[in-house]
Amino acid sequence: MKKVLFILVALFVATATAAFAADPVKIGLMGPMTGSWASEGQEMKQVLDLLCEELNAKGGLMGQKVAVVSEDDGGDPRTASLAAQRLATQGIAAVIGTYGSAVTEATQNIYNEAKIIQVANGSTAIRLTEKGLKYFFRTCPRDDEQAKVAAATIEKLGVKKLAILHDNSTYAKGLAEEAKGLLAGKKGLEIVFFDALTPKEQDYTAILTKMKAAGPDFVFFTGYYGEGGLLLKQKRQMNWNVPFMGGDATNNPDLVKIAGKEAAAGFYFLSPPLPKDLPTQEAKAFLAAFTKKYGNPPNSIYPVLAGDGFRVITHAIAETKSTDPEKLAKYLKTELKEFPGLTGKISFNDKGDRIGEVYKVYKVNAEGQFILEP
Amino acid sequence: MEQFFLQLTNGLAVGGIYALIALGYTMVYGVLKLINFAHSDLFTLGAYLGLTLLTSMALTDRLGPFWGTVLLAFMVMLLIAIVGALLDRVAYRPLRQSPRLSAVVSALGASIFLQNTVMLVYGARFQVYPQGILPSTAIRVMGLDIPMVRLIVLCTSTLMMLALFFFIQKTKTGTAIRAAAIDQGAARLMGIDVNRVILMVFLVGPALGGVAGLLVGLYYGQINFTMGWGYGLKAFTAAILGGIGNIPGAMVGGILLGVIEAMGAAYLSIAWKDAIAFCVLILILIFRPTGLLGERVAEKV
Repeated sequence: MKKVLFILVALFVATATAAFAADPVKIGLMGPMTGSWASEGQEMKQVLDLLCEELNAKGGLMGQKVAVVSEDDGGDPRTASLAAQRLATQGIAAVIGTYGSAVTEATQNIYNEAKIIQVANGSTAIRLTEKGLKYFFRTCPRDDEQAKVAAATIEKLGVKKLAILHDNSTYAKGLAEEAKGLLAGKKGLEIVFFDALTPKEQDYTAILTKMKAAGPDFVFFTGYYGEGGLLLKQKRQMNWNVPFMGGDATNNPDLVKIAGKEAAAGFYFLSPPLPKDLPTQEAKAFLAAFTKKYGNPPNSIYPVLAGDGFRVITHAIAETKSTDPEKLAKYLKTELKEFPGLTGKISFNDKGDRIGEVYKVYKVNAEGQFILEP
Repeated sequence: MEQFFLQLTNGLAVGGIYALIALGYTMVYGVLKLINFAHSDLFTLGAYLGLTLLTSMALTDRLGPFWGTVLLAFMVMLLIAIVGALLDRVAYRPLRQSPRLSAVVSALGASIFLQNTVMLVYGARFQVYPQGILPSTAIRVMGLDIPMVRLIVLCTSTLMMLALFFFIQKTKTGTAIRAAAIDQGAARLMGIDVNRVILMVFLVGPALGGVAGLLVGLYYGQINFTMGWGYGLKAFTAAILGGIGNIPGAMVGGILLGVIEAMGAAYLSIAWKDAIAFCVLILILIFRPTGLLGERVAEKV
């Protein structure tokens, strides 16, 4: 019996030390690998895999290899909280993600209680950083900034009768209300329609018909690209030529695929600069490496913002020589200044928000390409 | 008023699709008293098979948009009918003599199996039908801009329903199906091959569901492996609304549900459109528990 016990203990010690020696620094990735935002999540993984490879080729972190542990949040808050609980038990130093605000919101407390730094890449809803969570950061800008740019664009285009449509999600509703607040009471501009659609349906003709009856000369849709594409397609089938503008969640080439080039042409949307329009040296080198590895440049900005989350975290780990969340959070908030990110310079404020990012206005041309508006 | 008529056409087009799917539920229920939960996944499968046939065989390029689409619809019907019959053979027929609940569980299992098969084969992302197969323009009828596709969907679903109606009412097989729905034992005593009737039901119902899937693909252009759930729920509701087990009831129920949804969205709130539709359903069931055209009291499942 003693012998058996001894062997067992010896085995345990051996595996434990072996595991310790080979233990890499783990960075979690939580993204929508399946579901309607799957194209975003799968690209997030591609970006992180590439950056992780590059980092390991340079020797990793603190003499250890870096590994990306990814979990699928399905673009759904319930799935996401399960994914977050799984990730929280895997000894990760930080987690990158995720895309949708409502999805991120479902996981914030789980990571905060587990003392894991979370860097969201696409969750722009304002209230996410207004809760005083110590370990939450994001590399994307906030909706109030987006709403300001939206309001300015709408005013600049000389819109007189505006329709605003959202989808009742945390993000879309927040952006719609913010924009409504900024534009309400502006002279010569009337908001003639404000309502929500049900996401994941396929028939939006009833909504479009109702909206058309309100007679807007411009429509601001704050939801996601799947519904955006269908709205554009069905609007064209109805012979209705009103210009549409989308929020940054409509920024995905799948929008053009769903709507068709003819229906998508002339569609405006707001977005942080797209990968191809990024000016920095880091961005160009990254784009070249990404294109070489996967055969095409990244389609959307959010996976690149996830990449920036990864780079910021690994930089902080290297600088502080620690994976202690307290030290990392303090470093990111107070010491990291103007870090050369893939999407421009990165600094964080006390709330964990990124400072000084500017939204751009894009327009879809006749070939279905996204062109930066001057 | 213009708004009213436009919303009416919106509702009729969606309702036509609900009705086509509802027919599959109601036919199986009528004969077997079984709710075929896998029916909504046969609908999804129809949309995906339609996409595969369309892109791999280039039917519309060879035969022109009209005959290409017609041939495509018949191929999808045939394939989904075969899948439907196989489904019955594998999942339901071995349980014919077992308690009804076993068959319901088997139906749920078949539904999950089919849905995940579609996901594994085609992937989890949205699939997009090629553009420009059906005309994407609108025509003006009495001052209303009505999209061509909507008219096509409306006409197709009406034609399919008329064909089914004649099949059930006027042919010998149709009479046998009606007889088996009333009393299987008595039908058997009258020399009706009830197993053949059941096979027939599992060929015709899924075929209609498959065509509905193809229509959705062609109409909306965007399909997803989970799309059957939403349509299945609405179609099942439509079947109950019209009186489950009753074929004209499913037609009326589907079209009515589509129109109620569109009108609710138009005159009340868009965000509450599903809630409105289901409130109407509850009201109707309070006053007519067997549905609008139903006669027999629905049994518990």
